[in-house]
Amino acid sequence: MKSASTKRKSSVATHDVSVASALPWIGPALLLIILVVIWPVVELVRISFTDITIAGSLLDFHGFANYRELLANPDLYPVARRTLLWVFGIVFFTVILSLPLAQLINQNFPGRKYVRWALIFPWAASVVMTSMIWTWILDAYSGEFNLTLTQLGLIDEPVDWVNNPGSSFYVLMAVAVFVSIPFTTYVLLAGLQSIPNDIVEAASVDGASHWQTYRQIKFPLLRNALLIATIINLINVFNSFPIIWIMTRGGPGYETDTTTTFAYKLAFIESNMGQSTALGVFNFIVILLIVSLYLKLTKATRTEL
Amino acid sequence: MKKLTKRRIVALASLGMVASVLVAAPAQANTVTIKVVTPNYTDAMPAYYADLNARFMAANPTIKVEHENLSWDDILVKGRTYISTKSYPDVLNLNTFSEFAAEDLLYKTSDLFTEAKLSDFVTAFRDNSKYNGVEYAVPDLASARMFFINKALFYGAGNTKIPTTWAEVTAAAKKIKAKYGSRVYPLAIPLGSEEAQAEFQIWAGGNGGRYFNESTKKWVINSKENLETLNQLRAWVKAGYTQPNPASTNRTDAFKLFSQGRVAMINASVFFPSTLKDYKSKVDYGVAPFPSANASKKPITLGVQDYFMAFKKTGNKDAVSKYLNFLFEGKNYAGFLKAAGGFIPATKSASTEVDSSLLPFIEQLPNAIFYPGTLGSWGPVVAKITTQIGTGITKNPKTVLDSLQKDAEKAGTN
Repeated sequence: MKSASTKRKSSVATHDVSVASALPWIGPALLLIILVVIWPVVELVRISFTDITIAGSLLDFHGFANYRELLANPDLYPVARRTLLWVFGIVFFTVILSLPLAQLINQNFPGRKYVRWALIFPWAASVVMTSMIWTWILDAYSGEFNLTLTQLGLIDEPVDWVNNPGSSFYVLMAVAVFVSIPFTTYVLLAGLQSIPNDIVEAASVDGASHWQTYRQIKFPLLRNALLIATIINLINVFNSFPIIWIMTRGGPGYETDTTTTFAYKLAFIESNMGQSTALGVFNFIVILLIVSLYLKLTKATRTEL
Repeated sequence: MKKLTKRRIVALASLGMVASVLVAAPAQANTVTIKVVTPNYTDAMPAYYADLNARFMAANPTIKVEHENLSWDDILVKGRTYISTKSYPDVLNLNTFSEFAAEDLLYKTSDLFTEAKLSDFVTAFRDNSKYNGVEYAVPDLASARMFFINKALFYGAGNTKIPTTWAEVTAAAKKIKAKYGSRVYPLAIPLGSEEAQAEFQIWAGGNGGRYFNESTKKWVINSKENLETLNQLRAWVKAGYTQPNPASTNRTDAFKLFSQGRVAMINASVFFPSTLKDYKSKVDYGVAPFPSANASKKPITLGVQDYFMAFKKTGNKDAVSKYLNFLFEGKNYAGFLKAAGGFIPATKSASTEVDSSLLPFIEQLPNAIFYPGTLGSWGPVVAKITTQIGTGITKNPKTVLDSLQKDAEKAGTN
C-alpha cells in the first residue's frame, strides 16, 4: 500500500520536473556530448565552407567552393566506388562467415571455452597490431605465408600479396573481415542463445531435420541480432582507417584508398584542408543515414517484442 | 599546468618583493618549454638528442626541452598535422621549410644566428634556404646520390663496365637477369611513398628533366623529358629487370634487398655505406656517377638538403636561438652528423674533416640539381608527386604526369 503511494508520488514528481532540476544529473553527459560530438561536427561543417590555408589559418567564407573542388576531383570517383565495395563486401563476407561460426560455438563440445577465447582474440587485439602482423605474415620476401606456399610447392616464387595490384585491395578486405568476425559472431551467438529451447525441441518432435530447424526456426529468430550486427558493422567498416593505412597507406597513388583514408590524405599529406573537410561532411552524412536506419530498425523491433 | 601555477606564484612573489625591498625578480623566473621535433635519420638519433638536451638544459636551467623523434614516414605526416592543427613545434627538422615561411610562421635565421655563425653554412645550401630572398631555415646536412652496384653480381654476370647511359643499364640488366634468373633483381627502382620524388628526379635529371623550370618560373612536371624517363622506367619494369611493384616499394625496402645481395644496381644516397654497415651487409659494392639518358646528356646528381627551422611563438625566440646555436657548436654538430650517419656537412667548418668515403659525393656536388625547395607551394606539390608518381608504372604515364602538372599549377609558383 505504502509502496504504491510512493510510486504514484514519484511518477507525479517526474512530470513536474523542470529541465533545470534535471540538469545536474544529465549535465555532465550533455557537456561531454557537446564537447566531443556536437562541437567537432559544427567545426567540420564551418571549415568546409571556409577557405583554409595549409597552415590551418582560416580565411574567409568560401561558399560551396570546397565542395565544387572535391566533386571536380577526378580521383574521388574511383575511391568512392572502392568504398562501396569495401563496405558491402566486408560486411557480406563477415556475416556469411559469422553465421556458421556462431552456430559452432553455440554447441557444447570439449574445449569450447578455448575456441571462444581464440575467436575473440582478434577483437581484443589492437587493429594496428593485427594489421602489422598481417603485413609481416604476407611480406613478399620474408613472410611466413609465402614461405609456406613455396615449401608446399604451391607457388614457384614469392608473391607480393599486399602490393600486387590484382590482390592488394582484396587482401586488405580479408584482414578487415578477419577483424570484424569476432564481434559479429558474438552478437549472433547472443541471438542464438536467446532462442527458447522448447521451440527447437518442438520442431525436432515434429520431425524437422537440422537444416529445416535452422532455416525455418532459428534463422528467422536471429533476424534482430543479424540486423544489429550488420548495421554496426556497416558503420565500423565504413570508418575503418588503420588496416588500410598500416598495410598500404592507400597506395600506390589512391589505388587502395577508401573515402576515410582519402579524406586523411587530402588533409595531412596534400595539405588540402578544404576538400578534406568537404569529404568529411559527406562521410558524416553517410554515417548519419546508417545510424538513423539503425535507430529506426531497432525501434521497430523493440515495439514488436 | 605546472608551468602556469609556477608562473603565477613567481609573479605574486616578485610583486611582493618589488613592493617591499625593491629587488628585481630573479632570472630563474620563467621556465620556457620548447618542443623539438626531429626525424630519425638513424637509430642513433634518440641517444644523441638525449645527451644534447640534457647538457643544454643543464647549461640553461630556465629552458626545458621536450623532444620528439619520429621516423621519416611519420614526420612527413605528423609534422604537417602539427602545423595544420596549429600545435606548432618550436624547433622542427624537416625536408621542406618554404610552405611554413610562406605562411609567415618562421623566424628569419638572422633573428636566431649572428652573421658570423650564418656565414659558416655552405653558401649553396644557404641559397636553398631562402623564401622570397630571405633565409628562414638553416641547412642541417645534405646528401648527394650515386649509382651503387653489387660487384659480385654485376661482374659475375659478365659485365665489364659500370653503365653511364640508360642503354648500358638495359644491357647490363639483361646479362644479370640471364645469369641469375628470378633470384636477383638487376635494378631496384623504389617508387613507394617514402622517396619516390627523389628516385624519379635522379633518373629524369639525367635526361634533362626537372619538376620546375627556374628560369621560366613554371612547373614542367609533364615535360617531354620526364615522360621519356617514366617510359624508360616502365620498360625496365615490364622487362622484369626490377623488383616487383615498384610503386609500393619504399627506399628502405630496396636498400634491404641490396644489403641482402638480391639487387645488382641501385640509386643510393651518400649515407648508404653506413646503412649497409648497420645492416651488417657483406655486399662488396662499387660507386659510380649516375647514368644519364644517353651520351649527349650530362650526368647529374640530386642534391638534397634538410632544414632546421624555428616557429614564431611568444616568448620562445631566445630559447630556440640558444638551442639551435648550441646544436651547431663544433662538437655538438659533429655529434649530430655522426648520429645522422654519413651525410655531407652543411657547415664549412665541419666540411674540412669529412670521412674519405664522402669525397666522391662531394666531388659530384658541382653537378647537383636541387628540388625547387624555396617555393612556398613546393611542400604540397612534392607530397603529391611522392604518392602519385609511382602509379605511372602501371597507369598511363602521360595521364599521371598531366594530373600532377595540373595540381602543381593550381598550387602556384609563389
